[in-house]
Order: sequence, then structure tokens, then C-alpha cells
Amino acid sequence: MSVIKQVTRDEWRFWHRTKLAATIIIIGTLLTLVSAVVNTLEMQHASHEREHLQQSAQAQFLEQPDRHPHRMVHYGHYVFRTPSALSIIEPGVDAFTGTSIFLEGHKQNTAMFSDQRQASGMTRFSSLTPSFLLQVLVPLFIILIGYASVTREKEAGTLNIMITQGINVWHLLLGKYFALVSSGLLMLLPLIIAAIWASIKGESALITSSFVAGYILYILVWSGIVLAVSAINKKNSASFAILVSLWIVLCILLPRIGSSSAAAIAPSPSKLEADFAVKEELRKLGDGHDAADPAFEQLKKNLLTKYNVDKVEDLPINFRGTVAQYSEKKLTEILNQFAEKRMQEELEQAHIARQFGWVTPTTAIRSFSMLVAGTSLETHHRFLREAEKLRFDFVQSLNKVHQDNLSYEADANRNKNADATKAARVDAANWQVLSEFSFKPDTAQTRLFRSAIYAVQLFFWFGLIVLLLRFAVRRIS
Amino acid sequence: MSAFSNISREARFLVKQRYFLALLSIVLLLSVFSVWSGISETKTQLSTIERLQEKDDVDRANVLAKQSDYGSAAYYTFHLTHSAPSAMAFAAMGQRDIYPWKHRIRMLALEGQIYETDSDNPELSFLGRFDFAFLISVLLPLFVILLLHDLRSAEREAGRYDLLIATASKQQRLWLSRASVLCTALAIALLLPFVIGALIMQAPLVSTLQVIAVVLGHILFWMLLTLWFTSSKVTVKQSSAQIASVLLAVWLGVTVLVPVASDIAIDEMVQSPNGGEIVLTQREAVNDAWDLPFAETWEPFIATHPQWKNYTEMNSQFEWKWYYAFQQVGDQKAAAISTAYREATFEKNTLAGRFAFLSPPMLAQKLLSSIAETDTLAAMKYEQEVRDYHQALRQFYYPLLFGNANRTETQSNQTINNKTTGNKAAFDPKALSKLPKFTTFKNTIDSSKENI
Repeated sequence: MSVIKQVTRDEWRFWHRTKLAATIIIIGTLLTLVSAVVNTLEMQHASHEREHLQQSAQAQFLEQPDRHPHRMVHYGHYVFRTPSALSIIEPGVDAFTGTSIFLEGHKQNTAMFSDQRQASGMTRFSSLTPSFLLQVLVPLFIILIGYASVTREKEAGTLNIMITQGINVWHLLLGKYFALVSSGLLMLLPLIIAAIWASIKGESALITSSFVAGYILYILVWSGIVLAVSAINKKNSASFAILVSLWIVLCILLPRIGSSSAAAIAPSPSKLEADFAVKEELRKLGDGHDAADPAFEQLKKNLLTKYNVDKVEDLPINFRGTVAQYSEKKLTEILNQFAEKRMQEELEQAHIARQFGWVTPTTAIRSFSMLVAGTSLETHHRFLREAEKLRFDFVQSLNKVHQDNLSYEADANRNKNADATKAARVDAANWQVLSEFSFKPDTAQTRLFRSAIYAVQLFFWFGLIVLLLRFAVRRIS
Repeated sequence: MSAFSNISREARFLVKQRYFLALLSIVLLLSVFSVWSGISETKTQLSTIERLQEKDDVDRANVLAKQSDYGSAAYYTFHLTHSAPSAMAFAAMGQRDIYPWKHRIRMLALEGQIYETDSDNPELSFLGRFDFAFLISVLLPLFVILLLHDLRSAEREAGRYDLLIATASKQQRLWLSRASVLCTALAIALLLPFVIGALIMQAPLVSTLQVIAVVLGHILFWMLLTLWFTSSKVTVKQSSAQIASVLLAVWLGVTVLVPVASDIAIDEMVQSPNGGEIVLTQREAVNDAWDLPFAETWEPFIATHPQWKNYTEMNSQFEWKWYYAFQQVGDQKAAAISTAYREATFEKNTLAGRFAFLSPPMLAQKLLSSIAETDTLAAMKYEQEVRDYHQALRQFYYPLLFGNANRTETQSNQTINNKTTGNKAAFDPKALSKLPKFTTFKNTIDSSKENI
């Protein structure tokens, strides 16, 4: 045991002496620190701003004057997605999705104004987020620190001396491994602090600890790769060239190839294209604005029989409101059917891209990190679904007000003159039907359950590393 | 003669190096993959546009057949607009996954429609695509560094250095010719798939040459930088790996740190209105109009459209001309903030172009997407085309709406109503056959610009 400790200490002493490794560790730690601070501030600002916008959108809706209820259906409402606590570390798809949606009758709008669209376009490859730094750059730093950890001893001939002195090769490698891991953990420190901060801000401790554990595993994997390659090769330069090539392939190339392949393997038709099919279906339903549309003949007959009257004018309810409710319900069923299909297609693409976690640990940690942080595609889809639920609820409540609180006669004559228009209004108190919207991240269990498979990917990589190290030990002895 | 023999000797020497051949074949494979995925993406986009175009025409014809007045015709018909990928787009997909390249718009207030994005899968955008431009801007420097960092140090470490120096007639020329051979091989591996791709896509010769120039320029920059650094005195005592570490740090600085820092700086320098405000302003203006006296709509409308000032008389509480007038007024009210938003985007892009001079990889990326017409500017140009087209739709409909208004009994669609019959004598479906189409409309702008 003391041997391992001794080797670890020697390694640190060597780094301290050579400056290069020390510089890299300091730069790496500073970078993650800066990015964690900047990102925390930005996300807090965004969070406050969106909460504020949400409240003012709600207030604006409630403040609308007396109106025809259907006018409020078209006036619509805005919902904003507040970022999850861990998005200070892993913003995930947040910057690419758009964070607000306009909700109105008869339509499902897409999220608008993604941050990337308002950005300068400089951050398509790199971004100053702790997750990018840890997933992509920290492996490179670990390589620069550790590529020579064993080859150095080989080139100087000290390795053979140590072995003939009877040092266990496993002990030697473990000592160097711990040194390398500890340097990685130092760069991870700002992330751990940010995760604790997220916990204080209300994120479940189970989530933040799994999140940190995932990153620790990732650092264990990369330190292992670096050490094994260094142990297998004879020369510093060969170890270095192989490691940098591995880094390019694993951290930069494969995740992108995964994304390009997913788009090519499972192309998803654009929303615009699906819209034509939706419109086709909708046309069969009839126009909900037009109570005389033949599509509503059956509805009319049923109502007339139910209330035992001859004309729609005699119904105790406003038939136009009934039609509006009826057609909104049918229409929403169709819209949801297509929306669900589209979400399924997007998920399918994402799943293909995430399978690349079996060939590169970077994709594995990325999927794991997004899912645990609650900034993944799944969470965005839930946002869309919840927004849709709110839309349907307030539109239908308004349609019910239209049916129950506005007489058919006043409604039909509303365009006759200014007074008739005034008569065809309902009290603004009816706008209270709008329920509050606050988007909460998925529960801890859901997120952990979803990310389990990517945790398995990370453990798979760890297993590979252990095998690789065993191979290296056998090579040396 | 001596230069040639130098080069051929180097080439023969290199072919024997396994490491070099392995790297080169990986580069070739990557280039093939990037070009293939770019072409497949371009073809998907082109066929999407083609299908949309067909469906759009059928859909509009169906809808128009059911209309009995111009107001409803304008309300119910959508018009497809699109920006097809250029023949060079396969090499640089640029911002096309963030900015929309297809829109269906109608006669309602444009500010409420134009920010709708039919965007790609956000998770794939987040992971990033692997296109030729990415290969050139981000990875190419790494290849050059991997190939050239140990030019001298490898010889030193192999103990051949002094011998080489002694036998070479001119030291400088030796390293330069060796580096040139390595980089030429790299350039061929990168460019060969691209040139084949350009031939398949029938890309214009000029832009093909421009892309080749950017690639060669970028290789040259990193080659000279590496040569300069490896020849400096600092490196004499350093190992190959130490030299490469320093070069990697430079790469990290210009590829990651400079863009990130520029992004933050640009965000500080340019104040952009929040996009959400535009839509909110427009929505309030349009919705308030229903409750305001008609004059409140007519006044700002007539200010911009004086030719209709004698046609504002209202015979009902709802008339289409008034409805479209307040849609127009809604756009007018949001115009200032919308213009500011676009100017901010433009300014950010201009500044990004300037900051790119600090980072050769960013510059290469910007140049490539600009050649391929997939950059922010191209997206803004498309947005402007959509705006112009929407304007043309208004100019087409206003005479029909205002000219017939007095005789047409109109109906509301924003609010539920009876199916009142419009004045059929006044409605002539044939008039709608002259509806401007985006494709033909776009061609006329383009040709008129060429005439200027």
C-alpha cells in the first residue's frame, strides 16, 4: 500500500518540477472554475427572466377587458421553460430548442427564439460550459499530463531498475493511476462545488451525487486509457501520438459521426411536411369557426334530440360554443397524434446517436449528463406536452364559457352594429380559467431510470480499462 | 533539379513510414464520410423542398376552390417559401440547422409568423454535425501538428539529425521540402473526396476553387506556424511530445478560447432586443384593434397606404379590409423593434467576422459557409425574401379587398359566425390565378438585382 502512495507522491513531485504538467493542471482547474461561475450567473439570470416573463404573460392574459370568448382563444398565452438546477453545469439542448411557446386555439406552435439563433455563431464547436470542458478538454489535459508517465521511466531505464528491485508492477501502475486521477479530480472540483450549489438550490441530493459520480467515472476511464497506452508503448513520442489520435477520434469525431449517422439512418420529415397531412385530416373535421359546416350536422341532431327542441336557437346552450369545443377536441387529437409521432422520430434519432456511447466514452457521459441534469430531449418533449395540455385546457375552458355564458342570439348578431358587438361579450372575470404554468424538471427517479443505460455504458468503459491495464501489466512484466 | 530530387527522395522516404500512411488513410476516410453525409443532407433537403412544393400547390388549389370571397381566400391560403441549399452546401451546412430554410406564410401579420422555426432535432444540433467545413476548420490543424511537430526532434531522437544537416546542402530547404511533401499528401487526402463531391453536385468552378484555396491557405498557416516553432531555439532541448503540447495549446487557444471569449465580448458589445418582445408587441397591437374604434386602425394604415384613404367606410362591425389593415398595423407597430433585432443579428455577425481574424479555424469556418451560402447572412437574405414576398401578397390583395369592399357582405373567421355568402358577382376566382408565387417572385428579384 505504501508503495502505491509513494509512487503517487513521486508523480506529483515530478509534475511540480517539470512545470508543464503543473501549468496544465492550473489552467484546466481555472477554466472549469471560470466556466462554472459564468454559467451559474447566466443561468440564474435566464431563470429569473423567464419566471418574470411567465408571470407577466399570465397577468396580461388576466388583465384583458371584456371580450368575445373566442377572441381570447386567439389572443393566446405564452409559456416559458425555466431551466433545471443542474443546467448551470450541463445546459444540454437548452440553447438549441427555444425556450418559449405561443399557445393559441387550433394550432400547436413550435418553440421560438433559441439562444443559438440570437448568438454570434462562434460557439458551434466549443462553448464555455463546464460540461463541454469536462467532456472534451479535460481528457486532453489528462493526456498532456500523463502520456509519459510510464514511457518516461522506460526511456530513462528506471522502470527496469524498479522491477528488478522487486516492485510489483500493479502497485507501480496503481500509484501512477491515482496521481493521474487526482489531477483530473482537481479539474472536476469546480463542477463538484457547482453541483453542491445546485443541491442547495433545491436539486435532489441523489441526482447531484449521481451526476458527480458519472463524471468521476469518466475521469477514471480517461486516466486509465492514458496510463495503459503509456504502459504499452516504449517511447514518449509514440504514446503521445497514439493518445492524441485517440482523443481526436473519441472526443471530437465519433460523437459527431453519431449525430450525422442518426440523421442519415432515420431521417425525420420536417414539421412543415407533416403539417400537410395534419391539414388534410383537419379538413375532414370541418371548420370550427363555422357552425353551419355540414361536418357538425350529427352533433346538431344529437343536441336537438337531447334537449327536445327543433332549432339550434332554442337550445339552452350556445351551439357555436359547442361546435368550437367539439372541433377543438377532435383537432387536438389529430395534432397530438402527429406531434407524438414527431417526438418519437426525434427520440429515435437521439437513441441512434446515443448508441455511440458503446464506442466512445464521451457520448456515454454526454447522454448520462444531459439525462441526469434534466436538459435532454426527453425533458424538452415533456415541456412541449405540458404546454400543449395547458393550451387545450384554457382553450376548452374558454369554449365552455362561450357555450354557457354567451347567448346564441347575441353571438349570431354580433357584427350588426357597435352595440351588438358589445353585447356579444363576456365578463373579464372569465379569463381566470387560465391555470398557472410552472415547468418542473422530471423527478429524480425518472431521470435516474432513463440514464441507467448510459451509466452501464460508462461502467462498460471502466471494465474495458481494467482489462487494458491488466494487458499492460502483463506486457511490462 | 535539386529541388525535385529533394522532394522525390522525401516522398520515397515517407511512403515507408507506417504511421504516416495510417494517418493519411484515416484523413481520407473522414473526408469521404464528411462529403458523403453532406451530399446526403443536401439531397434530403432538396427532395423535401420538391415534395413540399407539390403538396403546397395542391393544397392551395383545394383551399381556393372552396372560397367565395377574397378575404377568406387570403385568410385560408398558405404560401410556401424556401431557400434551397446551394450546390456547395454539402461542404458546409453552416447555420442551416438553426435558421429556418422553409416557411409557409399567409396574409396575416408577418411578425407573428416569421420566427416560427421548423428546426432540426435539437439533440443532433447540440452534438453537432460532421461536415467538411468542420473537418477543415477544427481537425485539419490537429493533423498538421501531428504530422509536422517531430520533423526535427524525431531525427534528433533517432540520432540522425547531425548527419542530415551535414549532408543537406541547405538546411532550410530540407525541412521545407519535407514539410511540403507531408502537407501536399494531407491536402490531397482532404481535397480528393471534396472535388469528387463538387463534381457530383455540379458545384460552380469558382466556388470549388475558393474552397480549395481556403483549405490550402489553412494548411499553409499551420504548416508555417509549426515549422517556425520547431525551428526556434526554444525547442532544441524539447522532446517531440513537448513541442506538440505547446502546438496543441495554440490550437486550443484559437479554436476554443478565442471563439468563446469573442462570443462573450460580442454579446456585451451588441444590445439585442429580446425576440419575444417582437411577437408580444405584435400580438397586443393586433388583438387590441378589435376593441378599439375603427379610426385607430385606419389612421396608421392610411399613413402608409394613402391610396386607400377613400375606401375606409365600414358597413359592418367586421370587414376583411379592416381585418387585414390591423394586421398590417400590427406589423408596423412591431417594425422598429423587429428591425433592431435584425440589425443586432447583422452586427453580431459582422463583429464575429472581424473576431474571426484572431482565430484561423473560425475564419476558415466562416469563409467556407459564406462560399456555400449557408451562413447567417444567407439566412438573413432568405428572411428578407420572405418579407418582400409577404409584401407582394399584400399588394396583390389590397386592391381586391378595398375595391370590392363596399359591395361585399363579409364574414369573420377570427370569431365564429354564420356561413354568409359573399357577393359572388364581385368575387372572381380567376383573379386569384395571378397570385404571386415565391419561386417566380424570387427569380424576378434576382434578375432585377443583376440588371442593376
